[in-house]
Amino acid sequence: MNEYVIETNNLTKRYKNFVSVNNLSIHIKRGSIYGFLGPNGAGKSTTMKMLLGMSKPTGGDFMIDGKRMPEERIAILKEIGSFIESPSYYPNLTGRENLEIIRKILGLKKSDVDEALEIVGLTEFGDRLVKKYSLGMKQRLGLAGALIGKPPILILDEPTNGLDPAGIHEIRNLIKRLPQMFNCTIMISSHMLSEIELVADDIGILNHGNLLFEGSLDDLRLEAGKRGYGDQNLEEMFLSMIDEDNAFRKQRAVI
Amino acid sequence: MISLELKKEKRTGLTAVLLISGILGAAYVLVNFAIRGDSLLSMPANPMDILLTQLYGIVMVINMFAIVVATSIAYNMEYAGAAVKKMYVLPISMKKIYSSKFLIILTAFLVSVAFEGLALAWIGANRLGPGAFRPDVFLLFMLYTYITSLPVASFMLFISSLSENIWVTIGIGVGGFLSGMALVNMSDSILMMLHPFIIMFKPAVAMSAEINGTVMSVAIIETVMFFIAGIIGSSKKKAE
Repeated sequence: MNEYVIETNNLTKRYKNFVSVNNLSIHIKRGSIYGFLGPNGAGKSTTMKMLLGMSKPTGGDFMIDGKRMPEERIAILKEIGSFIESPSYYPNLTGRENLEIIRKILGLKKSDVDEALEIVGLTEFGDRLVKKYSLGMKQRLGLAGALIGKPPILILDEPTNGLDPAGIHEIRNLIKRLPQMFNCTIMISSHMLSEIELVADDIGILNHGNLLFEGSLDDLRLEAGKRGYGDQNLEEMFLSMIDEDNAFRKQRAVI
Repeated sequence: MISLELKKEKRTGLTAVLLISGILGAAYVLVNFAIRGDSLLSMPANPMDILLTQLYGIVMVINMFAIVVATSIAYNMEYAGAAVKKMYVLPISMKKIYSSKFLIILTAFLVSVAFEGLALAWIGANRLGPGAFRPDVFLLFMLYTYITSLPVASFMLFISSLSENIWVTIGIGVGGFLSGMALVNMSDSILMMLHPFIIMFKPAVAMSAEINGTVMSVAIIETVMFFIAGIIGSSKKKAE
């Protein structure tokens, strides 16, 4: 069995003159939580969309659990629970009915719906129409849609957006527990390192579509030490790395 | 797949709008004939032609608007809460989703046409006089009106799948209705019949219940053409 569940090889997404993701090669270990970091517009969501077959790469390729997209799209998507950008739902249906649709498509047990609602704390609101949900409740429902049926791979794009501090804390703890609970691998994106460092085993830092760093948090501390960023505050390390890359790009643009 | 689509359509009114249009159309036929029946039957024409062509105009308009609204709803429910994005990342074929929506609309519309047909058949059997009602002519005309309505259903579902804003879809439907009404009598050329709304108008402006083979053939070709375009469009949209 391959050590990496998700492996990209020079993955690229180009829109006319703009390169959103540039020769990206990331490696996500089985059973780990991989924090995918970068400022807004760094290419995190585009990468995740490519992994889910929502966007076609213009270069490179990737493998998910030994399978290739688009040839094995259905088999890949059966293994992945995902939450991309913002919650997606049928406003005319209740939370439970929304999950029921996903359950039917995935061919899961009826009890999986209740379990997913319970995991995200929506059990008592399951029979309410989603159009009457608050933003935080919609976010939780989106997460329930990703977690239903305990998929072996989870791809979560900024899953705590729109949640209140208590909600953020709760979802963060949940994500941290998931690999043990479900025996799954998680790829989670955020633009806040402080958010990621509390849950991730490994991280990848992306800026302007380029991978600036990949490794464990300890590796990041070592790297930061080498570059003279200081290793006490990871958020500062992350920002220094991004600033340095931006300054380098500006300089190169002037030349 | 069909049962899944029916579950998704809950509370949207998609099938209801088509069924209600059928009931409305039937009610219109019955009330209109109750009021104007004698004057209609005194017209110098074949009673079957009177029964089938004189009442179809308004029934067709009701059907057309029901189709426009139902097809607009069919994809608006996918776009309203970005549910379609979830569908993109689930192991399901977008082509199957499109086909299921198409089939549901066609079936609900068939039921709607059947309601209208029942009203016409009742009048035919009870008011046209002994031996005047011809079931074969009646059934063929109902089939003809159903088939000539399909290009609008197929075209509108295609537009609905492309447009995330329901008002754009409805706007195109209203534009199609107005332009179809304005152009239907201008020419009988096949080129004009490329306009799906004109095809639907054709039986409504005819003076006889006779079936026009060209109109019927173009209707079938257009229905298939727009369906294929919709299938391709829905999978392409997924890719970006």
